[in-house]
Amino acid sequence: MAAHALTIALAGNPNVGKSTLFNALTGSHQHVGNWPGKTVEKKEGSLRIGSDDIIVVDLPGTYSLTAYSIEEIISRDFILLEQPGAVVVVVDAANLERNLYLVTQLMELDIPLVLALNMIDMARKRGMHIDVRLLSARLGGIPVVELVGNSGIGIESLKEAIRGMVRRTEPGTVHVPYDDAVEAELPRLQTAIDNAGFARPRWSAIKLLEGDLLITDTIAQRGGGALVEAAQGAMKRIEAATGEDAETLLTDGRYQFIMGLVDGVLTRSTVGRTPSERLDHILTHRLLGLPIFLLMMWFIFQLTANVSAPMVDWMDGLVNGIFGRWITSVLSMVGLSGTWFESLLVGGVLAGVGGVLVFVPVLMVLYFAIGVLEDSGYMARAAFVMDRAMRVVGLHGKSFLPMLVGFGCNVPAVYATRTLEHETDRKVTGFLVTFMSCGARLPVYVVVGSALFGAAAGNLIFGMYILGIVVALATAFILKRGIYRNQPPQPFVMELPPYRMPRMRDIWRQMSNRTGSFVREAGTIILATSVVIWLLLALPVDGQSAFNDVAPEQSAFGAVSRGMSPIFEPAGFASWQTSGALVSGLVAKEVVVSTMNQIMVGESMQAGAEAAESVETTTFGEDLSEIGNSLVETAVLTVQETLNIVPRTLNIIPGLNVPELSLLGAGEEEDTTALEASLVRLLTPLSAVAFTAFVLLYTPCMTTVAAMRQEFGTRWALYQVVYTLVVAWAVAVLIFQGGRLLGLGA
Amino acid sequence: MTLDSLTCGQSAIIRRVGGSGALRRRLMDMGLGRGVTISMLKVAPLGDPVAYHVLGYQLSLRKSEARLIEIEEA
Repeated sequence: MAAHALTIALAGNPNVGKSTLFNALTGSHQHVGNWPGKTVEKKEGSLRIGSDDIIVVDLPGTYSLTAYSIEEIISRDFILLEQPGAVVVVVDAANLERNLYLVTQLMELDIPLVLALNMIDMARKRGMHIDVRLLSARLGGIPVVELVGNSGIGIESLKEAIRGMVRRTEPGTVHVPYDDAVEAELPRLQTAIDNAGFARPRWSAIKLLEGDLLITDTIAQRGGGALVEAAQGAMKRIEAATGEDAETLLTDGRYQFIMGLVDGVLTRSTVGRTPSERLDHILTHRLLGLPIFLLMMWFIFQLTANVSAPMVDWMDGLVNGIFGRWITSVLSMVGLSGTWFESLLVGGVLAGVGGVLVFVPVLMVLYFAIGVLEDSGYMARAAFVMDRAMRVVGLHGKSFLPMLVGFGCNVPAVYATRTLEHETDRKVTGFLVTFMSCGARLPVYVVVGSALFGAAAGNLIFGMYILGIVVALATAFILKRGIYRNQPPQPFVMELPPYRMPRMRDIWRQMSNRTGSFVREAGTIILATSVVIWLLLALPVDGQSAFNDVAPEQSAFGAVSRGMSPIFEPAGFASWQTSGALVSGLVAKEVVVSTMNQIMVGESMQAGAEAAESVETTTFGEDLSEIGNSLVETAVLTVQETLNIVPRTLNIIPGLNVPELSLLGAGEEEDTTALEASLVRLLTPLSAVAFTAFVLLYTPCMTTVAAMRQEFGTRWALYQVVYTLVVAWAVAVLIFQGGRLLGLGA
Repeated sequence: MTLDSLTCGQSAIIRRVGGSGALRRRLMDMGLGRGVTISMLKVAPLGDPVAYHVLGYQLSLRKSEARLIEIEEA
């Protein structure tokens, strides 16, 4: 017990400012990961009070401690198994009654409690007054601390209370009194449980009477079958005596206890409509609600897809340009210039590092947007407004945002599923977002489209976007009506929290924590894939070429591509070049076009070779000033892209054509005329449609797979890879064969 | 009478929470206990779900869920 005495847990309902308190307590001494085997975020930090080092564990926000949701099971198990020295239960002072429900459940666990009465300022503004001393006395003397978490008021008193609590050994003694019929059964059951050697007899007895599946199973498995039977007998007697089931009586008991608790503790003076209510009237308005929602989502889409683009380019230039040059010059100093080692570092490792880092700006922008939406309270409204429409395919209102973000980039879209509460919804939505046609796929449609359809390329592009949506919705339908058919629909029972100003410090912390864990956890896979592709390209298979000096066609990469091409025969694109482009597209869709350029037009394949050919001798000082200059340029472009959201939004209206701002002149476009000429030789219009459909639907990229693995586990990520490959192939074949039957193309 | 029959601004007292399993538990955990006063605030733009005021906060329920709550006039 002593070893655990210095761990405390933070518990509380969602939206009570628990994260703010956690940040205020632990500062930068925190670590974010996942609960073992679960997709629920686990935050741990440390806190020093006087001479005590205390570990603070942030439990998932829950309304209750039942066995029905992962978050609740995690919280409950942590308290039962890890036995923290104390639990700080964070309570929204402006929402006292409902918040106290969780408190009554924690009291039953017989654990030392500290009640943190947060957002006391909001409560006062709403005309509520809470008699803290009386509340503490009625709760058996547990410390009750008033706090305003985001301005730090009360934090020191909370620390003092925690310090006092973890040194105390005897838990609180107040118990919720239940209906007489229940209380008549409890002592007997408790004694039996105690005699059988189970811990926390009163809590276990209550859980058995409630019919809690997990506890009933655990007790039955550990030889407590007789106890379970005794509890079932008691449940029958209770129902016979009162006409109500035990579960209802227990819940009623808790609410009656709460009503008695707040009577005289909480006094309300009536105030008019709060600013939050007035704002809500507009944001969820019958006519305005939906357009406002769509505009908000469109804005976030623009942020992730376009506003982050200059930062992505900057990061890309930094890693592949300047860092590449530095590595090259360091290697030439030690005489390794031009060797396979240099090629591995620049073409394999550095490209992989770059592949990870370019997602950092996108993810930061996404997490910022999500942070603002969630912290302000709008996210719940978004679900409220959108739920009816999303339910048609069995999804939750909150699934809309990840799907929309997917049109920009699938990677942040996978992480955006974190806003969903239920694991099934989260997984299903994560499965779907990869069919949203992301920005990196667009150049493929453009090149293929303009090569084979000329001016009609727009129809192909539009068709692909629609196809992605159709496949996603069909997948949702299959998953919800098929695999998850037997699962009861997830309830929508959801709190609409009052609006408040988002707290930038918390959002920033969440942004950097989550982006950091992406780099750590997804980085390895991306790096490994990048090195593998490099190796395939460097390994000769023709018996003549040397390692790292081989034409793509004679490399292992060429051999793999050739070996795969018969698979695509029925889809109409069986050349090794198109297969090769698809293989490298597994790493990232944005390299499909450049790979096609390299192997079809015959440019040098190795990314590093390009840099080596045009050896620019720059000094370190020049590099630094280039970084500085490009940073300024990036800042200008970011502002430009943010401002350009306005014309882009207005241009949706047909007939309107507001010019977009271009502060630094047009960027250079990749020249693809030669590529288009060779595409005409390799593809027919019909097989071109099949090819682009395949590019749209197959495994989006290694980064998305890595993100899926981080969020949903290895198995789910593998399902996704297999499913997307099968669907992509089937659709491509269907298009090609179907088209031929209809007499389209030859 | 069930909760979905309330009109905008009307309040009632909860008499019984129906349903079963996780859904029923969740409804009860969110404050829908016997004897609790609840009032209807507004309907979402697409006609469903519906927002209610209960225990000092706003709760949103689908109509199918509101149908499980038996109420009596306040």
